[in-house]
Order: sequence, then C-alpha cells, then structure tokens
Amino acid sequence: MAKRPPITNRVKELRESHENMSQAALAKAIGVTRQTIIAIEQGRYSPSLESAFRISRVFNVGIEDVFGWSGK
Amino acid sequence: MAYREKLAWVMIIVMTAPGFWYFSRIDFLSGPGGQTPAPNFAIVVGYVALVIIAAIIGSILIAISKPSEADPTLDEREHRILDKAARWGGYVLSTSVFVGLLQYGLNGDGNRLFHIVFGCLMVSQIAEFAFQVFLYRRGV
Repeated sequence: MAKRPPITNRVKELRESHENMSQAALAKAIGVTRQTIIAIEQGRYSPSLESAFRISRVFNVGIEDVFGWSGK
Repeated sequence: MAYREKLAWVMIIVMTAPGFWYFSRIDFLSGPGGQTPAPNFAIVVGYVALVIIAAIIGSILIAISKPSEADPTLDEREHRILDKAARWGGYVLSTSVFVGLLQYGLNGDGNRLFHIVFGCLMVSQIAEFAFQVFLYRRGV
C-alpha cells in the first residue's frame, strides 16, 4: 500500500452537509473527474492548490476549513 | 473504474494478444537449429494493424458502455498518472533495449536484435498501461 499524503480533508463531510451534493456535481464544479473526487476523499490524492481553492469556493469556506496537515 | 483505467486494461489485452501472435509467427519462421528469421515486415504490419483495429473496437465498446464518463480530456490527477506511467515505461524501454544491444554485442545477430527491439517496444507499452492501472488503483 502506498504511503498516504500527509494532507487530510473534509471534502466528503462538506459535500454531504451541502445539500448532499453528489461527487459528480462537485467534480463538474471544479473541473475534474468523479474518480478524482473519490481519490481525494479517500486520501489517495492530494489536489493541486488550484483545485483545493476551487473546492473551498464551492463550499464557501476557507481552504483551511477543507484541508489539514497531518504530517510533522 | 475510471474510463481511462478501463482503456488501459483494454490496451494491455489488445497489445499482449497480438504480441503472442507476432512471436509465434517469428518462432514458426525460425530456421533449422533455431536460426533467427530476418525481419518480416508483413508480420510487423499485421501486428500493428491488429493492435489498431482492436484498440479502436475496444475504445468504442468502453465509450458505449458508459457514454457519460467517456471524456477524452484529462484532469490534473490523470495527467500525473499518465506522465508517471510514461516515465516508468521509458525506463522499461531503455533497459530492455540496452539488454538487446548487449545481446547484439555478444552474438552479432542483427535479426535477433530487430525482434528484441520490436518486442521491447511492445513490452514497454504494455508496462506503461500496467503502470497506469497500478497508479489509478494505488494513487499518485
């Protein structure tokens, strides 16, 4: 199993609290595939800074409310 | 499964099966005592044609099975996966070509060199698609 990136996120939680937004809808809103959203939620992929900002914009929160750092 | 991962699986199958056909033909054409046959461009063209036709049919079938996901544009994660897989595939190609050249240096068999290099091209492409599948599953 690959080492997970030390970046945590609340994408799934925010998506569900945002009128239960679908992964496909979020993917379309930020311009990635649904599989990429799945990979982000599962912690298998750390999005680019641009996508991170786009995600936080979709949920109307700050980027630090979506992403966290779990490394040293 | 992602659209491109399905495509990678199809390409692995599409390139492996005709590859066996190609080398079975070369083996069939081998002379007495296992002499390596000269390059046969009819077989090479046959291999390429088989791969192209099978790849087109495979791509169409995947697109038809789920048209909503059949998007040719890549997102940032897919770009990274394809770039990394291409780089690893390049390592496979350069290593196997080096082994082929080493074989030529030892035996001086140019016909065998041709088949080895052609085989290296197949193997590196198959490896590249296999790396794509691996990275899609493991994460990048």
